[in-house]
Amino acid sequence: MSQRVNLDLKKELFLYGAKEWNQCFQCGNCTATCHTTENGFFFPRKTVRQVLMGLKKSLQTNIDPWLCTYCGDCSRTCPRDANPAEMMMSIRRYLISVYDWTGISKLFYKSKTLEVTSIIVLSIIVMVLYLIYTTFPSGDSSQWIGPDGGALINKMAPWQTIHLGDWLMAGALVFLVITNIFYMWYKIIYDDKSLKVGFIDYLKPFSKLVKLINPDVKYAKCDEKKLTTYWVLHAFLALSYGTLFAIIVFFLDWFQTDTVYPFLHPQRILGYIATIGLTVGIIYFYTNRTLKNMENSKYSHFTDWTFLILLFFTTLTGILLHVFRIYGLPQLTYVTYMLHLMVLVPMLVIEVPFSKWSHMIYRPFALYFAHLKKMVIEKSKTIPHQPQYN
Amino acid sequence: MEEKRIGVYVCWCGTNIAAMVDVEKVASGLKELPDIVVSKDYKYMCSDPGQDMIIQDIKNHNLNRIVVAACSPRMHEITFRKALENAGLNPYMFEMANIREHDSWVHTNRAEATRKARDLIAGAVSKVKWHESLEKRSVPVNPATLIIGGGIAGISAALELANAGKQVYLIERKALLGGTVSALDLTSPFLNSARQMIDHKIKEVMDHRLIKVYLNSEVEQIFGYVGNFETTIRYNKRETRLNFGNVIVATGLKPFDASRVTNYGYGRLPNVITALEFEQVLKDGVILTRDGREPKNVAIIHCVGSRNEDYNPYCSRTCCMVALKFVNQLKSALPKATIIDIYSDMRSFGKGCEELYSDTSKKNVMFLTFDHKADLPQIRQASYDDPCNLIIEFKEKFSGEPIEVPADMVILMVGMEAHENAKQVAHGVGISMCGNRFFIERHPKLDPVATTTDGVYVVGTCQSPKDIPDSVSQARAAAARILATILAGSVSIEVTTAEVNEKICCGCQTCIKVCPYSAISYSQEKKVSAVNEIICKGCGTCGSTCPTGAIKSKHFTDIQILSQIEGLMSLQEVY
Ligand SMILES: Cc1cc2nc3c(=O)[nH]c(=O)nc-3n(C[C@H](O)[C@H](O)[C@H](O)COP(=O)(O)OP(=O)(O)OC[C@H]3O[C@@H](n4cnc5c(N)ncnc54)[C@H](O)[C@@H]3O)c2cc1C
Ligand code: SF4
Ligand code: SF4
Ligand code: SF4
Ligand code: SF4
Ligand code: SF4
Repeated sequence: MSQRVNLDLKKELFLYGAKEWNQCFQCGNCTATCHTTENGFFFPRKTVRQVLMGLKKSLQTNIDPWLCTYCGDCSRTCPRDANPAEMMMSIRRYLISVYDWTGISKLFYKSKTLEVTSIIVLSIIVMVLYLIYTTFPSGDSSQWIGPDGGALINKMAPWQTIHLGDWLMAGALVFLVITNIFYMWYKIIYDDKSLKVGFIDYLKPFSKLVKLINPDVKYAKCDEKKLTTYWVLHAFLALSYGTLFAIIVFFLDWFQTDTVYPFLHPQRILGYIATIGLTVGIIYFYTNRTLKNMENSKYSHFTDWTFLILLFFTTLTGILLHVFRIYGLPQLTYVTYMLHLMVLVPMLVIEVPFSKWSHMIYRPFALYFAHLKKMVIEKSKTIPHQPQYN
Repeated sequence: MEEKRIGVYVCWCGTNIAAMVDVEKVASGLKELPDIVVSKDYKYMCSDPGQDMIIQDIKNHNLNRIVVAACSPRMHEITFRKALENAGLNPYMFEMANIREHDSWVHTNRAEATRKARDLIAGAVSKVKWHESLEKRSVPVNPATLIIGGGIAGISAALELANAGKQVYLIERKALLGGTVSALDLTSPFLNSARQMIDHKIKEVMDHRLIKVYLNSEVEQIFGYVGNFETTIRYNKRETRLNFGNVIVATGLKPFDASRVTNYGYGRLPNVITALEFEQVLKDGVILTRDGREPKNVAIIHCVGSRNEDYNPYCSRTCCMVALKFVNQLKSALPKATIIDIYSDMRSFGKGCEELYSDTSKKNVMFLTFDHKADLPQIRQASYDDPCNLIIEFKEKFSGEPIEVPADMVILMVGMEAHENAKQVAHGVGISMCGNRFFIERHPKLDPVATTTDGVYVVGTCQSPKDIPDSVSQARAAAARILATILAGSVSIEVTTAEVNEKICCGCQTCIKVCPYSAISYSQEKKVSAVNEIICKGCGTCGSTCPTGAIKSKHFTDIQILSQIEGLMSLQEVY
């Protein structure tokens, strides 16, 4: 069956950061240079072609953009300056909005104003809730003030209350993320009638897991040598972020204590290391994006900046909160705590299911689905190792 | 009879000959033969030292006949004849034995090849003994030029010649000058206006006192030879006789008839139009579909009638750039429309062309590819619920995907063909056509405007598909060639012609029937035939047909040919 060409697909992708990159003449240089190319995956040439041709259906079920590590080799060596790597990134953003069944993602990508307004509105809601459910450490009420003169945080904003909010939020996020992943699975695996996937097949990709989660091995083949630093810092950032996220959602009672522990206490050490991870990461990515000194930082969509800015303010308020707490400034601690929540919550609620952050979830799943698909295709082949031409 | 003093020179041609022929042995062996005064071998006979050696030998040894055994006479006969002339000898006292193409290149046995070389040379030696001195001749040139076809090529040539002060007769079969360019809006690759360009030129031609324009007329048959042609044309219902020294054929192109490609539905689907029709749409200034709506998406299909064995195997060379020109014009006329360019290969050679492609490809244009040989797109009327007029269905080549493209208007990039009457024109002026019915130039690389008929030049798209700059350069080049002949005042003509011995001729006129150049005429009063030696090319046909042996083909006389054969056979015993 012939697929009807969608003449507006390319324009649609402009929302997600693509530009007038029409130059591609399908030379295949990018495929040759791409370190993720394997038999059957015409990386990223085929994907670029789908965009230029307006093959919307093919593009929506395409998994390749998630496999791209954004090393930039293809863009650097493309003879027509067609920016295949950034095209892949734009398609990722597009796919995030495709997987998001609520359609909210798309609205955010479409409109900067809407995203910013939502962040502000959410911040205000958080502020109002905070003001209602917590109490200001006024001078006379000595019960707010600890022996060191600092705020007794759990009196001011009891961890139980915060936890409740956390759980509600995490629940909603998990629900959205799971349903989106399900939709992704539906589009990529289930809807592809040519694939016959048995239950056992779903277990097979795990055998390759180690290889899947170690992109550093793959970067070794790339031209860009700065990528190792990039990968290490990216991993450090993600790990720090993940750690803090887990602590806040699951171990807030251990983390948010009224007693100020000595400097070398695990609570403080862990906090400091994660904070360093975030700070170094933010500075590194900020400089990269402003200096545009690597292929993968040449183009920045506004959602890339939003994420970075929210992360920056979350970290900054987190650090200040800690400082004010330690140096016994209860009123400032109270305000900073509020500000911290005011950036943290929108960052999680908007970025996790609907925007940049979600790549942290989609990418592992995409790798998993891609390998699943590949293994199933290989299994069904009568002639082994023949490349797939469509 | 004078004493024959022959010099024989055997060339090695580097290793081309020397590897298969024992050149030294051949050269030294020949010294034994009667009348041979010097016999030498040398690495490159055609080189300056090689030629100098011959010249010195002629002077020192008083040689009066020269044989060079080397490559084909097509390659170097003229070179060596010049050397003879430089040494003060008549250039026709020379014979070449081809021991390369006829010998070393085609044999594998060195001993046999060496013997064959020896025989070929012996034949040449026998022949050259009978050579006679021939004198070069020339005829005066009529400075007027006839130009057939008033397109941009014909016009450019006409102005070039007339501005140099020479008379031009310009024949155009239509009622207006300008040809195809008159039908264009802008021109690729720089998008300047065709009208401004051509109107100005047409006016210049019409006003020029040295250009006589004959509209609505055609040329049937041209008589004569370089420097002195004549023809009769019908102009204004009157026969007009014209005399001229040179002819330029500039009859141009015929657009391919798109209805021949049934896939595209041209003629059946109203919104499928040809490139030429689209030029008119652009000139009119409003782009509308046949039902009067502004098209939302316009598709362009390349290679219509070109590069396909069912139609024409060749590339029409300009349509890719014309398509990109359309893309740009469409983009500015209909900024909101989607433009889809369906091509097979993008041919963008030439000044400004790759730049045009590069710029255009950065604009929002959908470039799709198809297989011009096998899978031509199929165009069909869209159904009522489709948001478009037409659907183009084909297998996209780069992706291998079968796709459907919606379109409101499709422009077919029709190729260029030769006119139906190309054959009559070719016959009328005495030139030939290639398999695709374009006129053939004398040499595809070294002589691209002249033809094998002296004094007749082919320029513009009647010679091969080309764009305006190439047509104009060819036209001006032909004009320059003609000015050079006019400046020389005379042209040299073939010396090795046929000659009728009136005493023997019986007047049977067999020769008149066979001469391919109509060079022979019959004299009623003398009752014999006579060769016009200016037209005669020395092909020898008449000489071999004449039943009485009255015709002598100079430089290939009976005695020369027979001696050559004798020489060829003579050496069996010696070696
Ligand atoms: C749709 C289209 C768009 C084009 N766009 C461009 C462009 O943008 N840029 C570009 O560089 N090139 C373009 N070209 C190519 C350009 O038109 C040609 O290169 C140019 O017209 C060639 O000029 P010509 O004089 O050889 O032939 P023509 O323009 O065809 O002129 C030949 C003339 O000879 C006359 N004639 C024919 N036979 C006889 C006869 N037997 N006796 C007397 N007169 C005769 C014809 O009536 C005609 O007037 C385009 C061509 C087409 C078809
Ligand atoms: S994106 Fe560039 S390198 Fe890749 S196929 Fe297209 S032109 Fe070639
Ligand atoms: S950026 Fe690197 S991984 Fe991504 S497609 Fe290009 S070459 Fe492949
Ligand atoms: S110039 Fe282009 S469109 Fe024309 S025949 Fe050649 S390849 Fe086809
Ligand atoms: S063929 Fe010979 S004999 Fe006959 S007319 Fe010609 S020249 Fe005379
Ligand atoms: S030699 Fe050829 S061209 Fe000359 S008159 Fe005889 S037949 Fe005609």
